[in-house]
Amino acid sequence: MSKTALQSANPVPPPGKPVLQLENLTKTYTLGKHDVPALSNLNLTVNAGEFVAIMGPSGSGKTTLLNVIGCIDKPTKGKVLLDGIDATALPENQLYKIRRDKMGFIFQTFNLLPYLNARENVELPMEGQGKSKSEQKQRASELLAMVGLSGREEHRPQRLSAGEQQRVAIARALANNPAIILADEPTGNLDSQNKQGIIKLLANLNLTQGTTIIMVTHDSQAARNTERMLLLKDGKIAKEMQGLHANKKNQICPHCGSRIQIKDEICPACKKPVYASDDLF
Amino acid sequence: MISIPAGVLANEKTANAVASNLSSIINQTGATINQTLTQIDCSLAPSFSGFGFTPPSGGTGTYRSGGYGGSGSGSSGFTPGQFGGGTVGGYFGGGAFNGGQANPMNETLYSDINNTLSGVAAVEPVLQASEGNNVTRNLDFNGYSRTITTLDVTYTIEGVPLTSDLANYMNEILPTNVTAGSNLQVGNSGDVLLSENNSAYFGAGVGDSVNILGQSFTVVGIYSPSSVSDTQMLYMNLSDAQAVTNNTGYITSLTVFAQNSGDVSTIASEISALHPELTVTTAQDRETALSNEESGYTTELANAKASDNQTNSTAIEEIVVVVLATSLIVLFVMLYTVKERTKEIGTLKAIGFSNSTVMGQFMLEGILLSVIAGVVGIAIGMVAAPTIAQYLLPPVGGGARLPTGAVVISGTARFGGLAVATLTPELVLLGFGVAILLGTIGSLYPAWRAAKIRPAEAMRYE
Repeated sequence: MSKTALQSANPVPPPGKPVLQLENLTKTYTLGKHDVPALSNLNLTVNAGEFVAIMGPSGSGKTTLLNVIGCIDKPTKGKVLLDGIDATALPENQLYKIRRDKMGFIFQTFNLLPYLNARENVELPMEGQGKSKSEQKQRASELLAMVGLSGREEHRPQRLSAGEQQRVAIARALANNPAIILADEPTGNLDSQNKQGIIKLLANLNLTQGTTIIMVTHDSQAARNTERMLLLKDGKIAKEMQGLHANKKNQICPHCGSRIQIKDEICPACKKPVYASDDLF
Repeated sequence: MISIPAGVLANEKTANAVASNLSSIINQTGATINQTLTQIDCSLAPSFSGFGFTPPSGGTGTYRSGGYGGSGSGSSGFTPGQFGGGTVGGYFGGGAFNGGQANPMNETLYSDINNTLSGVAAVEPVLQASEGNNVTRNLDFNGYSRTITTLDVTYTIEGVPLTSDLANYMNEILPTNVTAGSNLQVGNSGDVLLSENNSAYFGAGVGDSVNILGQSFTVVGIYSPSSVSDTQMLYMNLSDAQAVTNNTGYITSLTVFAQNSGDVSTIASEISALHPELTVTTAQDRETALSNEESGYTTELANAKASDNQTNSTAIEEIVVVVLATSLIVLFVMLYTVKERTKEIGTLKAIGFSNSTVMGQFMLEGILLSVIAGVVGIAIGMVAAPTIAQYLLPPVGGGARLPTGAVVISGTARFGGLAVATLTPELVLLGFGVAILLGTIGSLYPAWRAAKIRPAEAMRYE
């Protein structure tokens, strides 16, 4: 199977088209006699190419929301449309294909397999897809180069730094050219320098590859560097804000409002960093 | 674990070897009971001073069997050759069955039996002498081996009186089944009656002459032995035998015939009173001794079979325990592995592995674990199976089979309490099969558990 054929078999929706639609999403956990609502009548549309942060206090339903989007959990009511497919209507034994082909997961604890090297970890999601071993190898090497790990393909996780491990995990999440990257506290286990690096990497992927990213985070500074911040409260979206990444995408300096170019890290007019990373991280 | 079936097979082999040895002996003893009721055998108790055909001055190099049962006393007193140590010792040989050497008797000392006792119909003196070679041989018995020395009898000379009585006692003192030529006749001298084995040994047929201890004899006939114990026996006139073996005036046994069978026990006790040094054996004694021997063999056979059965039931118990233990070990090891790798399993499922792939993965790991264990186990078994089987299984012992006509002189042919377990290719295959089966059974539940792990757990796992 050629690379082109593969991509057409699993196309990423064009920018601006909805890639995720949540309709009246309700999830209720039953604890003894009490019904505990985790999500109640939540509606959300995420378009292809968006970089979204989901924030909220503990117990606000962040994790539940991410699990439902990731087809790990089923909603009590409502619909989850992924790239036009109603995931809630699919039986359990079909959902793994959605996870494999439409989703890329990034975890707080990286979750790399310790006995596989970086490249083999990246190849893992491709195993069920019928790609040849050499195709897998080539794609994995390309992805590792994209996340800045050229030459470290043969290293096992324990020989990589925390930041490098998360880069491998990001490359793994991208392996099957997914419609959505789901990141659960991707910077939660990283020091501030690595945090910056990972957020910049995600932001760059979003800018240059048009990857749709939904990131759950506690870290308000990380969240501010996304495009769209959603504040979750009592199972609903309580507030929505624009992040700094939106300015960059719109090619406007967040500090002085002058025009900038996408490749610019520093505003040519006011000379301030576009991501304001120094004061944000 | 592989050692257990290996041990079972070894024990079964031993038991079968013992059974086949014993069965053939039992058949032979049965054949020898057919004797004349009026016959009384008299001989000196055999000594054990040496074997082979090196006659001391005035003596002979004859030998007789020891009795079964380990006494080695040589007291069975059967007519030599009918139950000779050369045969029984050979078949079920060992230190316990060493034959003894019959002491030569001065013929003239015993003329009073015929002259003074009433009711005696005839006294037939017999001289028996064996010619053979000492052979050192390696005995192999179910994988155990040792070196013993045997006397391999090439032929046994039986000198019988060819007097006018011969017609009356022909069947008692000469073979009955002459297949070529004719039997010995009254007064024959320089003639010999060969067994079929003798004929083959000398390469001589009827009318040919054979060289026996430097003297030439003419073959008058060839007979077919009625039992294995007769196979090496050649018959000639007593006086010829005495001359050729340099034993003039000496015999090795007297066969006394009573006029009627009712007098046998009286005559026997009178002979004992006259000559206390003689071992006197009547048909009754022979029958008792034979039936004792027979029951001895039968008991031994039953013991061998019983211990073989014991082996099987012990082995089954042990195998059940081992199989259960192995399955449980695989089960717990795999359950622990699944628990330890919850995060990994959750991750795999989150990135798109199906439940069946995950389950298959863990089944494969469990089976692989078992195959490795199987390889190690078989490697250990190759080296340690004999030792392990000895500890795990009750032993079966028995006597090694010697060639017909070989008598143990030193060493023992009896192997006791042995089961040399060796791994056959079939057992190795069986071992692998069982290992894979147990691995599969033990992995089923853990693999199912792994498949049921929710990917969300990978998200939460710290």
